[in-house]
Amino acid sequence: MRMTRREMIKLSAAAFAAGALNIPFADSAEAQGDDVVVDEWIKGACRFCGTGCGVYIGVRGGKVVGIRGNPEALTNFGFLCVKGFKGFLSMYHPDRLKYPMVRQADGKLTRVSWNEALGLVANKFKELQSKYGKDSVAYYGSGQCMTEESYTFNKLWKGGFRSNMVDGNPRLCMASAVGGYMTTFGTDEPAGSYSDIEKAKTFFIVGSNLSECHPIIFRRIARMKLEAPDKINVIVCEPRYTSTSRIADVWLPADPGTDLAVFHCMAREIIKNGWIDSFFVNNLCRFTTGQQVVDFEAYKQFLEQFKPEDVSKLTRVPVANIVEAARLFATQGPTVSLWTMGLNQRTRGVWANNLIHNLHLITGHICKDGADSFSLTGQPNACGGVRETGSLCHLLPGTRLITNEAARTQVEKAWGIPAKSIDPKPGFHTMQMFAALGAENDATKPLKGMLITTTNPAQSLPNAHKYFKGMEEAFLVVIDIFPTRTTQFADVLLPAAFIYEKGGVYGCSERRSQLTGKCVEPPGEAKPDLWIGAQLAKRMGFEKLIPWNGDDPAKNYQMAWDDYRTCVKDTEHTVYGMTYERLKKLEAGLQWPCPTPEHPGTAKRYVRGQDPIMDMPHIEKVPPQAMIYFYADTKHEGKANVFLRPYKGPEEPPDKDYPFFLTTGRVIEQWHSGTMTMRVPEIARSQPNAYVEVHPNDAKQYGLNNGDMVKVISRRGFMVLPARVVKMSLPGILFIPWFDQAWDRMVNRVTIDAVDEGSRQPEFKICAVKIERVGDPRDVAEMTIISNVNDPFPIKV
Amino acid sequence: MVITGSVLFIEPGSEKPVLEALARFPEVTFQARSHSGSQLVVNLEAEDHHALDLLCARLAESIPQIVDITHLQVHFEDEIDGQTNSNRP
Ligand code: SF4
Repeated sequence: MRMTRREMIKLSAAAFAAGALNIPFADSAEAQGDDVVVDEWIKGACRFCGTGCGVYIGVRGGKVVGIRGNPEALTNFGFLCVKGFKGFLSMYHPDRLKYPMVRQADGKLTRVSWNEALGLVANKFKELQSKYGKDSVAYYGSGQCMTEESYTFNKLWKGGFRSNMVDGNPRLCMASAVGGYMTTFGTDEPAGSYSDIEKAKTFFIVGSNLSECHPIIFRRIARMKLEAPDKINVIVCEPRYTSTSRIADVWLPADPGTDLAVFHCMAREIIKNGWIDSFFVNNLCRFTTGQQVVDFEAYKQFLEQFKPEDVSKLTRVPVANIVEAARLFATQGPTVSLWTMGLNQRTRGVWANNLIHNLHLITGHICKDGADSFSLTGQPNACGGVRETGSLCHLLPGTRLITNEAARTQVEKAWGIPAKSIDPKPGFHTMQMFAALGAENDATKPLKGMLITTTNPAQSLPNAHKYFKGMEEAFLVVIDIFPTRTTQFADVLLPAAFIYEKGGVYGCSERRSQLTGKCVEPPGEAKPDLWIGAQLAKRMGFEKLIPWNGDDPAKNYQMAWDDYRTCVKDTEHTVYGMTYERLKKLEAGLQWPCPTPEHPGTAKRYVRGQDPIMDMPHIEKVPPQAMIYFYADTKHEGKANVFLRPYKGPEEPPDKDYPFFLTTGRVIEQWHSGTMTMRVPEIARSQPNAYVEVHPNDAKQYGLNNGDMVKVISRRGFMVLPARVVKMSLPGILFIPWFDQAWDRMVNRVTIDAVDEGSRQPEFKICAVKIERVGDPRDVAEMTIISNVNDPFPIKV
Repeated sequence: MVITGSVLFIEPGSEKPVLEALARFPEVTFQARSHSGSQLVVNLEAEDHHALDLLCARLAESIPQIVDITHLQVHFEDEIDGQTNSNRP
């Protein structure tokens, strides 16, 4: 019997769903169906968070017509969340940028040829560099660029221009996690993997609304908890009672920025009750103030100031909850900690990361199955693309410090550039960069030009007002797929290809790199970022350094990847064994260290028999008898640092004038500044505008009802948006999601730009505000997007 | 038209009443069940993604034994055709 196309699609989809869950499916239509319903299913990764879910993209007649989770992907086992299924539909939105544009004398962006646009950028950059020095032009990248792209721009700047004015938006989300790993273990990124989740018994989830921000990871944990509620323990430390907290056994609702005291208090309880791992404490931990090495006794003494009763008063977390959390963490393991921005986006972000590592080190809940101290990354390629390629102002490929002479020498050799040509001095970090950006005639602003790609700083920088003028007055080149608040300042606007229109490698939170194949052609004249970077290099005289400028995008990406692989070959971050051929073939990608083309990748670092670096003395020297060894220890003792970090609260705690904590974050439907997800109608409709969550007690005091319009005022600015009266937050704490680009509701008009001293990551999560009721409910479900590139910025800057 | 391959996670022992209830939804086609009977493979058909969301909400509301609805594959070529044909030059 002949099947209709609709029936074929149904059978194929059902067979796939059944197969993903090992459910018997009698019909043999799966194979036939696949041939009939799409021309090809192309393997790739999702681009809407750092989980790194594997997908298959269905292509038919040159269009993307279907998507399915990859059941063989070890990140998601076939499941995808709402953003994974729908987010990329934005690639067909009519607002896609299709042609290069240059701002003319009348202030309007006008279509030009690629040759004209790139020629203008190259000449202007050269002119600025010759007039104001090599460091007068900056690159500001993104954790959403492909690895090959970040590597290319980094190489062009550091190896070509000899300038370290390279940074990116991971500075805003992950820098404190990098700082935490580097200071504790001597090297970046987690020891373990997602596979620890299924082997863990206790989860410590901190500063992360996992269920909305990393839904697939949450699903893995929730499934375990629901299947064995008495055997699996979940502790959530977070000021809001989020959907993640609903599966928690213990909730630690610490006031924003006070959780350092909670972590120290847990350590005190652990030691007091003898729940430590003596082997770890005696052999693998170094106790230190940061300035001075001390002994375990001094650490114990130091912790005495964090008695549960005192900490409870300081943080509002009940005593019993802290004590129970310590017990579960230490005695009901193995334990996995997971965190994101709640821990990182703080002026004490590095310290907070250190203190989580402390708990794992003193209890020995690390370097074992089911145990790890695991920072989840927010963006799909902040780890692989930016941290690992060293595309920040202080790093080199392999997440090595630019101040390290040996690392510079090795990179100079790999790049074939003269010895000592890489500048040992770090460039500006993100906030410094934007503060230093300005007009040519402004002697106080050393940065005169900037190339921004795949990110939207005019919406995403904290205390954004302060930085608009610099963006307006400098020579700004923006690469993006849609008009954004940032493109409103662009002098040159270059249309980019979407991930499925170019392909390339993404590296997710668990050190796993996955290759996405090119699926379809980009619209109009949009081009891959890699092509743009290579063409710019060619026009600026660096064709030898960046030779991947041909017409075959796949070949260009592979050349860039091979160059990167070779550059980090002899580092403990090696991806040398991850050839394109392997990444194409393997369903789940590979985890570094992966030193040879035969190596299966590494799920657990620092453990003999699992981590190849343990037996590669030309990279790290490890004593032959050591089974666990923190080989990146800068003192070469194989130890990790347990820090005696003093308690310090947030930069701007509430006071009588600004009595509320304001905290910001994501919602499940929307991605970052909403430029893509706001263009998917179902997503936009389900979260059409930002709002402010207010606790009912506070609402009562201010006479607020649901939907009333509220003015939220900080020392830096104000916004007006509807109230959502909910019990989720504690009294005194307000929450606003940050995706909304409507001027009135752009939360970064009020956030603070104070930064962590170590990581230079801003404290997005905490500032003090006051509120005023300004009116009755108003329909603000405008689903604001900037559709026209020539829409002016809402204010004169 | 959007067509999915989805899995309904249902309460243990509720397969019969759930299947009876599903029969009232012409947009749902039952395809297979897990050994335990707690997972049902279905197709959902809807005009567009928005209608699909509404359908899921209606299913969850009218069949309380449904614990979760998860799509594993989504086909949406008509929707894409609609979008690309209406693209501005
Ligand atoms: S969890 Fe993240 S990576 Fe996975 S489908 Fe959702 S947005 Fe994509």
